[in-house]
Amino acid sequence: MNKKYVTGMAAIILGASMMLAACGGNNESNANGKQEGAGAVKTESDSGVVNVFTARHYDIDFAMFDEFEKATGITVNEIKGTAEELVERMKREGENTEADLFITVDGGILNYAKENGVLQPIDSDAILANVPESLRDTDNQWVGLATRARVIVYDKELVKPEQLSTYEDLAGEQWKGKVLVRSSSNLYNQSLVASMIDLNGEAETEKWAQGLVGNFARDPEGGDRDQAKGIAAGVGEVAIMNTYYIGQMLNSKEAEEVKVAESVGVFFPNQETTGTHLNISGIGLAAHAKNKDNALKLVEYMTSKEGQEMLTNGSFEFPVNKDAELPALLKEWGEFKTQTIDFAKLGENNKAATALMTKVGWK
Amino acid sequence: MFLSLLQGFRQRWNGWIAISGIGALAALLPSLYILAGLWGEPGENWAHIRTYILPSHLMESLQLVAGTVAASVAIGVSLAWLVAAYDFPLRRMFSALLVLPLAIPPYIAAYTYGDMLSYTGTVQKLLRNGLGLTPNQRYFDIMSMQGAVFIFAMFLFPYVYLMTKSFLERHSAAYIENARLLGHRPLSVFLRVVLPLSQGAIVGGASLVAFEVLGDYGVAKHFGIQTFTVAIFKTWFGMYDLESAIRLAGALMSVLIGIFVIERLLRSRKRFNASVSGGAVLKRKRLRGIPAALTVGFCSIVVLLSFIIPVAQLTVWATWTYDDIWNDRFPAMIRNTVSVSAAAVCIIMLMSVIAANSLRMWRSGFTLAGSKLLLMGYSIPGAVMAIGVLALFLSLDQALSGLYGMMGLGEGKLVLSMSLAMLVFAFVARFLSVGFNAVDAGYDRIGTKYAEASRLLGYGITSTFFRIDWPLLKGSILTGAVMTFMEVVKELPLTLLLRPFNFDTLATKAYQYASDEQIHQASLPSLLIITLGVASVCLYHFIGRGEKA
Repeated sequence: MNKKYVTGMAAIILGASMMLAACGGNNESNANGKQEGAGAVKTESDSGVVNVFTARHYDIDFAMFDEFEKATGITVNEIKGTAEELVERMKREGENTEADLFITVDGGILNYAKENGVLQPIDSDAILANVPESLRDTDNQWVGLATRARVIVYDKELVKPEQLSTYEDLAGEQWKGKVLVRSSSNLYNQSLVASMIDLNGEAETEKWAQGLVGNFARDPEGGDRDQAKGIAAGVGEVAIMNTYYIGQMLNSKEAEEVKVAESVGVFFPNQETTGTHLNISGIGLAAHAKNKDNALKLVEYMTSKEGQEMLTNGSFEFPVNKDAELPALLKEWGEFKTQTIDFAKLGENNKAATALMTKVGWK
Repeated sequence: MFLSLLQGFRQRWNGWIAISGIGALAALLPSLYILAGLWGEPGENWAHIRTYILPSHLMESLQLVAGTVAASVAIGVSLAWLVAAYDFPLRRMFSALLVLPLAIPPYIAAYTYGDMLSYTGTVQKLLRNGLGLTPNQRYFDIMSMQGAVFIFAMFLFPYVYLMTKSFLERHSAAYIENARLLGHRPLSVFLRVVLPLSQGAIVGGASLVAFEVLGDYGVAKHFGIQTFTVAIFKTWFGMYDLESAIRLAGALMSVLIGIFVIERLLRSRKRFNASVSGGAVLKRKRLRGIPAALTVGFCSIVVLLSFIIPVAQLTVWATWTYDDIWNDRFPAMIRNTVSVSAAAVCIIMLMSVIAANSLRMWRSGFTLAGSKLLLMGYSIPGAVMAIGVLALFLSLDQALSGLYGMMGLGEGKLVLSMSLAMLVFAFVARFLSVGFNAVDAGYDRIGTKYAEASRLLGYGITSTFFRIDWPLLKGSILTGAVMTFMEVVKELPLTLLLRPFNFDTLATKAYQYASDEQIHQASLPSLLIITLGVASVCLYHFIGRGEKA
C-alpha cells in the first residue's frame, strides 16, 4: 500500500461522510415543529403524545387529530400505510412497538389484527357507551368509528326500485349483461362476499358469485365511482358500490360527475331479509401501547357526538354514535336495516371469499 | 473452499472492492430475504393459488410485459435513431422533452387518463356537450389491456430512448457512415446496422421497462388487469397469507434470474466490440420537406400524449382543488421529498462510482451477477420489498439493543427502524442499480486504456480515479443522479410503510387522494412531483451547458 493510496482513501471517506452529513443535515433541519408540517416528533420524555398507525388516509381524520391536539395538548403522531402492512409491522415490532392505536377500514382486517395479537381490550366505559355493541369487537379489542353501506345503485330511467330486492337477486337472469362492479382485488367486494358466505354458506355463495360474474356488463375495472359513471354512460343498469362515493360525486367540482350522481338512484338491498352490508372503519388499542391513557382519550374523542359529527360531515360515512346528527344527504336516504353478523366472521371468511371469487373468474 | 476464495480475494484486494462489496451485499439483503422465501414450506393456500390464481395472472402479466416492451422499444428506438442521426426543426427541444415522461408516476398517469377518457371526463364531455355526440363507451375504454400497454409504453419508453440514443451518438458513427457510404438507404441502415449494433442498449432499456411493469401494482389494480403482482397482493391482502405472497415474489425473481442467464449465454457469442469507433461522433443528416414534417409530427404526438396532455389536465384539476388542498403542510412535504431523495441519490451515486470502479478492474461472473440481481429487485413489488427491509432493520435494532441501553436510549427501543435511515436504505437498495448502470456505462465508454496507462505510470487506483476517471465520468454520474432522483421522488410503496412518524412526502399525499378515487384532489401533489422531476432535468441541462462553455 503506498502513501498516495492511503491519502486517497482517506479523502474519499472524508468526502463521503461529509456528503452524508450534508444530506442528513437536510433531514434534520426540517424537523422543526408540527405547525410547519411533517417531520417533527415529540418523544416520550413528555408523555403528551399518542402514536397512531393508520390505514385511513382521509383529510377529515387528520383534521380530527388537529382538533384533538388543540383541545387536549396531546400530540398525535401518525404512521400511515396499508392495513395489512401495518399489522405486519406491529407484529414484527412486538412489545417494542411505538404504536398506541391502529385505525383501518374493514372489519375483516380489524379481526386479523386481533388474531395476530397486536390489540388489547378497550376498558373505557365512556367509549363503550359511545359505540353500540353491534359495531365493536366481541372482546372490545376494537370499536367502530364509522360505517359505509355497500348498496345497489341503479339507472333511474331504466330501472324501477321495485325491480330491485337483494344482492342475491343480482345473479338472476333478468340482469344479464347489466351488472357493474369493480374487481375482486377490492376489499369492499371481498368483505361483501365474506358476509354472504356467513349468511348463505360457501356453496350457495359460490353459485351466486358465478351467476353474478355471468351478468357482468363488462370486465371489472376502475373504482366505485367508475361503476356509477358506467350506468350514466349506458354500459350497465345496476352497480354495487359504497354510499359515500355518491356523496363525494354530488360534491364534485366536475359538473358532469354531479350529473351522474343525480342520474342514479341508491337502493338499500336485503331490507326484507338479511339487511344491507356494512363496511366498518374501526380503531383498536395496540397490545403494547405505551401511552394508553392518551390513546383512550383520542378514541373517546373520535367516537363522541362532536367527533362523529365532524367525521360524517367530512366523509359522508355513517356515524357509529347514535347521538350524532346526520348530514342532509344521509338523512335523505333514511333509516335502513343492516346486516347483523359478527364482524369477526368477515375476517375469518375473507380468505374463502377471495378464493371463491378467483375460482369463478371474478377478475 | 472458503480459504481458496479468500486467497483469490487477497490477490485482487483493494479498498475499493471492500467498500463496494459490503455496500452491494447490504443492498442485496432485502432481495435475498425474498428469495429465501422459496425454501419455506408451502402454506395451505398454495394449492389454490397454483390452480386458480397463477395461470391467468401469469398469462396477463406476460401479455402486458410483451406488449409494453414491444411498444416502448418501437417508440424509444425509432425516436433515438431520429434524434441521433438526423437534424430536423426543433430537434434539440424534442431531444430534451422526450425524457420528461419519466417524471410522471405511471399510476398517476393511469388515473389521469382513466378519468379524462371516462364518461364524465374532458374528452367525452366535449363530444357530448359541444357536439351532441354520445359515442360508444368501448372506444374510450382505456382501463383495459391495451390501455395499460399504452400507459406503460408512454411513460416508460424514455428508458429505451435514453440508452439507445446515448449509445448511437457515441458508438455507432463508423458503422453507420460506412453503411451510408456503401449506398444503403436509411431504412436499410436502420434495420441492418443500427438495430443489431444497439442490441445491448435496447435490451438494457427494455429490461428496465419490463421490470418496472412487473413490479407495478397501482396501474394494474386500477385498470383491473390480472397481473402477477395483483396475484401477490390477492394472496397477501385477500387471503392474509404473507408467506405465500413472498414465495410468489421469490418465484418471479428466480424466473427472471433464469432468463438473465439464458440471455447472457445466447448473447455472449455475438457481442460487438463497438469501442473501435473511438471518439468519432455520429454526424447528423439534415432532413427537409416531407420527411422533416413527418419526423416533427411523430415527435410532437409522442410528447403531447406522454407529457403535455396529462400535465395540462392535472393543471386544470389543480386549479379546481387548490383552495381546498393546499395548506401549510405542503412546504414541509416538498422539503421532505427533496431532502430524502437527495440523501438517497448522494449515497447511491457514491456507491455506484465505487462499485463500477472496482468492477472494471475485476470483472467476474460473481460481481456481474450481483449487479444484475440488484436490478431484478426492481421487479419485486415495493410493498413486498418493504417487508424485507423492515425485517432487516428490526433485527438490527434487536442486535443493537444492548448498545442502545448503554447509550441511555433504553433497551429494546426501536431506534433505526423508527428513523429515516430505514427509508433511505430502502431507496438505496431499490435504486442502486439505476445509478450503477449509468456510471458503469460511462466506464464502458471510457474504456480501460487511460486508466491502465495511469496505473503503469505508477499512480494508485484512487489517484487514477481523481486524475483520469472523474473528469471523463462527470457526465455519466450526473445522468445517473438525475435518473435516480426522478425515481426516488415518485416512489410510493417503500415510502408508505417505511417512513418515520409524521413524515409525509408528495408521493404519499398524491396516493392518499388517488387511492380514494379523488384524482382531482391528487392533482396538486402529483404536479409537484412532476415539477421536481422536470427541475432536475433542467438542472442537468444547465450544468451540462456550463461544462461545454
